[in-house]
Amino acid sequence: MSQTWLQHTFSRKRFQTRNQATALAIFGVAILLILGSLYLSQVASFAITNREIEDLIRRRDQLKRQNEQLIGEIASFRTVPRLFARAVEIGFRPASNNDIDYILLEGYNPQPAVAPPDRAALSDANGAAPAYDETFSSWLERQFTLLRDQFESFGK
Amino acid sequence: MQAPTPRQSTIQARLPFVALFLILMAAYLVINLANFQFFPRSVRQELEKIGSSITNTTLRVPAERGLIFDRDGEPLAFNIVQYRLGVSPALVADADGLSSQVAEILDIDAFEVYRKTISENVWEFVAGPISAEQGEAIAALDEIALGLEEIPKRFYPQGTLAAHVIGIVLDEGLVGSLGVEGAYNDTLAGRVLDLSVSNVPFDLPEERPAEQRGQDIVLTLDRDIQFWVESELQAAVDEYRAFRGTVIVMDPRNGDVLALANYPTMDPNYFLDVEDPSLLENAAVQETFEPGSILQVLTVAGALEAGIITPYWTYNDDGSLEVGGREIWNRHFRAQGTTDAATILIRSLNAGAATVGLEMGTEDFYSTMRAFGLGRATGVGLFAEDAGELRIEGDTNWNESYLGFNSFGQDLKVTTMQLITAFAAIANNGIMRQPRIVKQVISEQGAEDARPTTVRRVVSTETAAIVRDMMLRVVREGAPGAFMRGYSIAGKPGTAWISTAVGQEYGPHSSIVTFAGFLPAYDPEVVVLVKLDRPNEYYGYNVTPHVFKRIADRLVILLEIPNDEVRRRLEAAATDIVVGGG
Repeated sequence: MSQTWLQHTFSRKRFQTRNQATALAIFGVAILLILGSLYLSQVASFAITNREIEDLIRRRDQLKRQNEQLIGEIASFRTVPRLFARAVEIGFRPASNNDIDYILLEGYNPQPAVAPPDRAALSDANGAAPAYDETFSSWLERQFTLLRDQFESFGK
Repeated sequence: MQAPTPRQSTIQARLPFVALFLILMAAYLVINLANFQFFPRSVRQELEKIGSSITNTTLRVPAERGLIFDRDGEPLAFNIVQYRLGVSPALVADADGLSSQVAEILDIDAFEVYRKTISENVWEFVAGPISAEQGEAIAALDEIALGLEEIPKRFYPQGTLAAHVIGIVLDEGLVGSLGVEGAYNDTLAGRVLDLSVSNVPFDLPEERPAEQRGQDIVLTLDRDIQFWVESELQAAVDEYRAFRGTVIVMDPRNGDVLALANYPTMDPNYFLDVEDPSLLENAAVQETFEPGSILQVLTVAGALEAGIITPYWTYNDDGSLEVGGREIWNRHFRAQGTTDAATILIRSLNAGAATVGLEMGTEDFYSTMRAFGLGRATGVGLFAEDAGELRIEGDTNWNESYLGFNSFGQDLKVTTMQLITAFAAIANNGIMRQPRIVKQVISEQGAEDARPTTVRRVVSTETAAIVRDMMLRVVREGAPGAFMRGYSIAGKPGTAWISTAVGQEYGPHSSIVTFAGFLPAYDPEVVVLVKLDRPNEYYGYNVTPHVFKRIADRLVILLEIPNDEVRRRLEAAATDIVVGGG
């Protein structure tokens, strides 16, 4: 009667050394050791590099803070009262209207200014209520005339 | 073949059951393993959380608050770091040496530090907040027992300058309050981040996401103008022994607030030391008051716009007028006889303004006041802006006398910001611009300009021109203190009595005086509103025009506004100007 698989599994047999299997096991352990040590050295290198990166980030943040601190200090030194006091100290004084000269440059007119009416017109208006020759109807009439002229010129 | 022994037979008989048991157990484990892979999301997250709590630590990273600059990029609010120092007594090797080193750096009592280094507690607070320099000196000791915790702090390098505009920050630099800090807190604050940091040494350190930082804000404020305005305001409050004062300078063409000053003021770096809480209040937008006769300008403008009066309209001034059972009197109780609209403004005639108001009627009058922005917040972008108080027909406690008294600025309440916005609309040919304090918001994505916006046309160009000419006459004939050689100034002083719960205040310090003016009158570049609370002179025309003039004198230089003569030559020559020293 042939042995069942269970009988085969649990049958008592004498221990035998198998050279090939032993060699394979030793080789396997050696490979594992090499891989393990490679992994450990890699992990150690990672840990060191990350610590260095962390230090650099900390240093960067610290420099950033110091930079902001310096900008704040510079801003404190550049406050108007301080600059004003220093300017007075070295002989400057606040300018008045009379100190300002305006020079007209011919042909340079990026922002046209609206001039006030001349003094004569103003003094005329002083006594009585201001006189206005323009009314809403005259304005409307002028706009209408302008529009009509535009249409006529377009037609031509 | 040898027959199995009874023991072997027993084992053989039991083996299938053992095998079956092992197979079932294996199947159970496999099913459970598969089941674990398909746990409900909530359970999985919970398990992941438990797992990560072992390998990760959660750090609360405070958001870096955005900075605030003036229109020229000068810093107004900055972040600095301070530290809080603690010690783990169990880790201290040399308590004596450590405490003397720490005490020397922090300039504190060495024995106090020593007492903490030998404490039985796990952790002892040593000092804080300490400056960044001191913190770095402590860190340089490289002492494992010492722990430094960062405390973000807001720093205002300009000190008291524009304190009420900028505001303050509470709760260790996290929550903005008052001014722009309060109104734009969501923009400035950024996002507080709970960052999960790995404890595993070979995991890459976490970087803060860039979008966590708050956005920077550029104000419309001009630091130099602000300084001069504050200086002149302080001088005026001292000179006229006023209770307090406010000045706003605005560009009517775009609604930019160039300066906003309240005096007395405070230093936002030391706001906790302020004893009087009212000093923290931005009176320009948070305090309402009865504006008084300065409001006559708006009444006349509304009547002109509605066609109720013309520049040639006149009435017979008796010096007083009874409205709704209450008597309205002119200044000095004088009758003026036949009087036109311009004279009402020049002589600040309460009875005249009330006559105009009554002729307008409630509908036209209150719609005009509404159009000028009274009774609603301007939306300038400052913290806790008040809407003022404008009772109209139908409201509780409104009666007919209100129309008469409202016509010359009593029995209604406005903020200084509302008042200057209304005058800026007249200066800007009748078009009201939205007043604004923030010019630009800068984020990681770039700068976004806040474009000037138009609120509405309040009066026509023609009406605005008529009122402007009347205001020119007011300065020439009624408030010569505001007159500036070479410049056309349009303006109107105002005096308001102060109403209290028990009636009107009387005495030398019992009025609020104002002046609203713009220049150059025919092409306004700047509007200035001056308000002094309870000065030693009762009438506004004796006080505020002088203050306005001093401020305007500086403004024409700082803003390079050429005088009328130059402007005339400029228009004639169709050229522009270059400013030079003389």
